[in-house]
Amino acid sequence: MMSLKKKMSAGEFAVMAEMHTPKGVDISEIVTNARRLKGRVDAVVIPDMDNGIMHMSALAGGVLMKQQGLEAMIHVYGRDRNRMALQGDLLAAHVLGISNLLVVRGEEMINGDHRDARIVDDLDEVGILNMIRTLQGGLDLAGFELKGAPEFTAGCAIAPVVDDAQLAAEIESAKKKVAAGAGFVVAPAVFDMAYYAKMIEKLKPLGVPVVATVFLLKNVGMARYMAINDPGARVSEDLITRIRKAPDREAECVRMAGEMAAALKKTAQGIKIVTLGWEHRLPAILESAGL
Amino acid sequence: MITAEQKPMQEIINCIAPYDRILLVGCNECVTVCSAGGRKEVGLLASALQLHFLKQGKTLDIKEVTLERQCDPEYVEELVNYMDQVDAVVSMACGCGVQTIAARYREKAVYPAVNTKFMGASERQGIWAERCQGCGDCVLGLTGGICPIARCSKRLMNGPCGGSTKGKCEISPDVDCAWQLIWDRMKALGIEKRYEEVMEAKDWRTSRDGGPRKIVREDLAS
Ligand code: SF4
Repeated sequence: MMSLKKKMSAGEFAVMAEMHTPKGVDISEIVTNARRLKGRVDAVVIPDMDNGIMHMSALAGGVLMKQQGLEAMIHVYGRDRNRMALQGDLLAAHVLGISNLLVVRGEEMINGDHRDARIVDDLDEVGILNMIRTLQGGLDLAGFELKGAPEFTAGCAIAPVVDDAQLAAEIESAKKKVAAGAGFVVAPAVFDMAYYAKMIEKLKPLGVPVVATVFLLKNVGMARYMAINDPGARVSEDLITRIRKAPDREAECVRMAGEMAAALKKTAQGIKIVTLGWEHRLPAILESAGL
Repeated sequence: MITAEQKPMQEIINCIAPYDRILLVGCNECVTVCSAGGRKEVGLLASALQLHFLKQGKTLDIKEVTLERQCDPEYVEELVNYMDQVDAVVSMACGCGVQTIAARYREKAVYPAVNTKFMGASERQGIWAERCQGCGDCVLGLTGGICPIARCSKRLMNGPCGGSTKGKCEISPDVDCAWQLIWDRMKALGIEKRYEEVMEAKDWRTSRDGGPRKIVREDLAS
């Protein structure tokens, strides 16, 4: 299989799926789910302490993917690690075979499950991308020479946006990230396909591949929650009704994600499928999308 | 109090170089006490800046004002009559003063002339040392009146580390080991038993980690 990097630089459509590490050391589920994806996705994206919830680190998750013969992409952010820890972990990541990084904004500590923890925030996303580039150039952030430089494909993420003004601001910030070395951008989940296509068009002048997010709505409650609390996702009443009226709601949700994936194949250069705990349904989503 | 030190002259010069008329604002509180931004320092900085620009052939118009308290909108209001006579404001107060002016006079650029350093106390004439980090949940009652967060280099809650020698911290012979001080003081107070109690991982939510902080006193708020 062609590497993710090669696929992206060749302009081919790349398929990624997100998978979470366990809160604990039982890796049976993540390993089983990973096996099912072998040969079906270009990379598995492993978030780190996603939503501020303490999990096994993404670095270990990435290694588990490698062990299953899958390419991994791990999240990197500055909330929990200073530049020393970040650099050390990135050198480790390279040695352990992880070559893709997604630089993200960490969730606020106060929204996570360790609300009393101290926040690090030594480097922001631009700072981290600069750091990655510095390491690739054979130096660390203090200017000392590395014994062997790592190689990565690093990207950045666009935050959910409610309106065009917010999107413009996000694009400005993404420009800085691309200038700092982001080689692709991941757009947030949007359920209004017409709006999503417009957003992707606006992101294309950044000059790097745009990866769209396919988000699996798991039930009516979740769809309703997103419609209210995540206006940027543009979950419509029609969508909610479609799930509600379906004879097999779970199958309908999978079908909807599949349709999104198929539609995005026309506009984006890749997709990242997010299932938040329903990783076992990833093969079905891919099937339904014809991927 | 809040301590501060004047910024390097060149940095201040670079900020105000584009302007002809400056309002230089001092503060009568903390920065007066630590001789960084009171009436006297305002006068000295004004003369130094005028001299510098005069040598370059530019007459810099500087108006000097020292407010009672620059972090208080009530006093900052006193600047209102100066604003149409100046191009920019230079503040010699701590960051709280700078921002109070910036919030009130949105149409004027405000530049800080000092670096705000820390919350500290005077050790002797001309020497101030850090004493408090404003963690929002004071532990001084548990640590013999000496703050390990502000004064232990590693912010140990269960110190000392192994590096304490002759009462000094391993980072520098000029820094007292906070945990040596804590231990000595507990012994002097006859409460050394308390030292054996393990201090739990601190809840940092009350500190800056919980986000920018605010105090709301309903009984006083208007
Ligand atoms: S020597 Fe004392 S003050 Fe310095 S780091 Fe160790 S315990 Fe803290």
